[in-house]
Amino acid sequence: MQMDPGLHKGEGYQYGPNPKQHYFSPYSMNGGTVLAIAGEDFAVVASDTRLSEGFSIHTRDSPKTYQLTNSTVLGCTGFHGDVLTVTKLLEARLKMYKNEHNRQMSTSAIAAMLSTVLYYRRFFPYYVYNIIGGLDDEGKGAVYSFDPIGSYEREAYRAGGTASSMLQPLLDNQIGFKNQEGVTKVPLSKEKAVFLVKDVFISAAERDIYTGDNIMIHVTTKDGTETEVFPLRRD
Amino acid sequence: MASTVLHPASLRSHNLSSDLSPDWLTSEHSTGTSIMAVEFDGGVVIGADSRTTTGAYIANRVTDKLTKVTDHIYCCRSGSAADTQAIADLVNYHLNFHQMELGEEPLVKTAATKFKDFCYYNRDQLSAGIIVAGWDKLKGGQVYSVPLGGMCVRQPFTIGGSGSTYVYGYVDSTFKKGMTKEECLDFTARTLTLAMHRDGSSGGVVRLAAISEAGVEKKLIKGNELPNLMHEFDYQ
Amino acid sequence: MAALAVDPPRGGFSFENCKRNALLAQKGMKAPTAYKTGTTICGIIFKDGVILGADTRATEDTIVADKNCSKIHFIAPNIYCCGAGTAADTEMTTQMISSNLELHRLNTGRVPRVCTANRMLKQMLWRYQGYISAALVLGGVDPTGPHLYSVYPHGSTDKLPYVTMGSGSLAAMSVFESRYKPDMEKEEGMKLVRDAIAAGIFNDLGSGSNVDLCIITKDKVDYIRPYDEANLKGKRQGSYKYKPGTTAVLTSEVKPLELEILDTQIVSEPMEVS
Repeated sequence: MQMDPGLHKGEGYQYGPNPKQHYFSPYSMNGGTVLAIAGEDFAVVASDTRLSEGFSIHTRDSPKTYQLTNSTVLGCTGFHGDVLTVTKLLEARLKMYKNEHNRQMSTSAIAAMLSTVLYYRRFFPYYVYNIIGGLDDEGKGAVYSFDPIGSYEREAYRAGGTASSMLQPLLDNQIGFKNQEGVTKVPLSKEKAVFLVKDVFISAAERDIYTGDNIMIHVTTKDGTETEVFPLRRD
Repeated sequence: MASTVLHPASLRSHNLSSDLSPDWLTSEHSTGTSIMAVEFDGGVVIGADSRTTTGAYIANRVTDKLTKVTDHIYCCRSGSAADTQAIADLVNYHLNFHQMELGEEPLVKTAATKFKDFCYYNRDQLSAGIIVAGWDKLKGGQVYSVPLGGMCVRQPFTIGGSGSTYVYGYVDSTFKKGMTKEECLDFTARTLTLAMHRDGSSGGVVRLAAISEAGVEKKLIKGNELPNLMHEFDYQ
Repeated sequence: MAALAVDPPRGGFSFENCKRNALLAQKGMKAPTAYKTGTTICGIIFKDGVILGADTRATEDTIVADKNCSKIHFIAPNIYCCGAGTAADTEMTTQMISSNLELHRLNTGRVPRVCTANRMLKQMLWRYQGYISAALVLGGVDPTGPHLYSVYPHGSTDKLPYVTMGSGSLAAMSVFESRYKPDMEKEEGMKLVRDAIAAGIFNDLGSGSNVDLCIITKDKVDYIRPYDEANLKGKRQGSYKYKPGTTAVLTSEVKPLELEILDTQIVSEPMEVS
C-alpha cells in the first residue's frame, strides 16, 4: 500500500518508473549593475550595492567596484563567487607586478591582463561582466569593457550587469549625443558625469528588480580617487 | 566589439526558479500527513496531525484534516489538499442527497464506496489517500481505508499519510483487540505523536475525534502538550 | 439561413491554437510571457471585521511591468479578494466570481456570503487543475460574521484568522506569526497588515512600491490606495527635456486633402397650429 501520496503526483504506484537526472549548476546570477564613464581627465566607476539571488536579497551592502590601483577601478558583476575569485586573482597579480617592477600597473596593462585571465577559462568561463575605469598613461580617462571570456575594447562609457540594457541607451543619448539633431557636443564635465550616474541608476532601480539599495561612485583623477555613496530605493 | 559567446540568459532563467524561494505558484499543496483511525465497540476514534506543506513551507499549521461527510461519518484526508477537499465536498453532496432519498443516515460502507468509486475512476488524475470512518446502526463503528489507487478495505484500525511509514512497527506491536474508547484515543494520540516526531511533513497539533451513536466528540492536543514518549522509551 | 461568417462566442476558453503553438514551440519559438504579480498579499481578522493588504508591483521576468497596479479586487460590496499569480488569471477569475455571486444574490435576495465565494472559487480552480495561476486571499463580512480564506491555484482552501500569499508570503507571515493576536483594534490591525506587506516589499524582489489596504466591517468598506508609499522615488538632478528640432526628420511631404464641401442651410418654418 502506498502512503505519502502527496509528494509526487502520478508517480505513486511504484518507486520511480523513470530514471531521474540530478543537476548541479556551477553558476548562479547575483544581479547588480556596474557603469563606467571616461572624461577628459577623469573616470567615473559606479555600481549598486545589492546582492541578490532569485527573489531574495543576500545583502544590501555589497559594492561591485574594486579599487585596483591609485588610478584604476574595476566594476565586476555576475556570479558573486566568480567575482570574488577574479578580483582575488587580479589583486595577487598586481601585487606580483609591483614587487617585480617597483611601480603600479597601468590601466591599459590591467585591461590586457584581465583579458588573458578571462580567456584562460574559455571553456568553463568566469560568469562575470567586467568594466575597468581609470586614467591612461597620458592622464586621460579610460574605460575598458569585457565580455565574460575576455573580448575587450576601449570605450568612452559603458554599462554592464542586469540593468545594462536600460542604462546604455540613456548614456548613448546623453553622453554620446546619439539620435539628437543639431546639439552642441560639449565635453563631459566631472559634475555632469556624477549626476548622470545618479540619475540613470535612479531610473534603473525603478524597473530592474536586481538594482537598488545604494550606489557606490568612484571618481578617479590625477589626485587619486574620491568615493561617494548615494541611496536608491530599497524595494 | 565585445561579442558574448556564453549564454547568460539561459543561466539566469535557470536561477530565477531558484530553490531559495518556494515555488508557491506551481507546486501543489499537499498534506504530507499522519492520519489514523481505530474501531472500538460502539464507535471509532480518528486522528490527524495539522500540517499542510508547499514544498518546505508550512502553508497551514492548524489544518483540520478530519473532515465531516455526514453527522456520523468523517474522513481523514492525505495527499493533495485540493484533490481531497474536492472529493470530500463531492461525497458530502452525494450523501446528502442519498440521505434525503433514504430517509435515514447513510451507512459508513456506502460513504467509503462513494470515495472508492471516485478515487478509482479518476485514479490517474488524483493523489488522494483517504480513511473513511464512522458509525452506523447496521455494523457500529467502522474504518475503511481508501488508499492511492482507489482500493477500499475495512480494517480494525489503519494509518495513512507519509508519517505512517515510521510507525507501522509501533501500531502492529501495540494494537490489541477490544480496546475501550479511551484506550483507542490514547493509542491514536501516541501513534500520531511518534509519526509527527519522525516525519518532517507532519506536525503541529494532534486532532482527535470519537464517533459513536451519541455523535462526535472532538479533542485537540496542543503541540507542547503531546505525550512525552521519548522519556518513556528512555531515549532522548 | 446563411451561416454566420464569424462564430459567436460560446463562453469558456478557446483551445484552437494549442496544436499550432505546440508545433511552433517545438521549432524553437518562445511563447509570450504573461505578467506575473510576484506579490505580497495578506489579510487578518480583527475585532470588527477583516483587513486585506497588498503591494502594488507587477513584474515580467526581472523587469517591473507596473509600478502601481491594483491587486485588491472587488467581489461583492461586502467581500474583496487579493490576487497573486498571473495578473490576467487573478483579474478574470475574480471578475467571473463577482458576476456569478451577483446573479446568486439576485436569485436568493440575500447578502452574499464569503463561504459561497470561496466555494465558487475553489470549484472553478480545481476544475482547471492548477492551470489558472490564481493564488487568492478572500475576505469579507457577511451576516454570519467576518471570514478569511486563502485559495490556492489547484483549488485547495484554508480558513484562518491570518493568511499571506505570493512570493513575499514568507516575509509577511513572519510578521503575523510574531505579532498577530485575536480581537485587535482597527488601528493596530492596519499597522500590522502594513508592516507585513512592507516586509514583503523590502525583502522580496517580486514585491515592491506601495501598500494598499481594504478594511471591511459590518457596515462599511474602506479601500485605501495607496495607504502607504513604502518607497519614495529618487529625485533626478538633470533635465531631460529636448529642444524642438532635436529629433531628426528623415523625409517630409505635404499632401493636400481633397474635400467635397457641402453647404447646407436650415430654414426654420413656423409651427403648424391650425
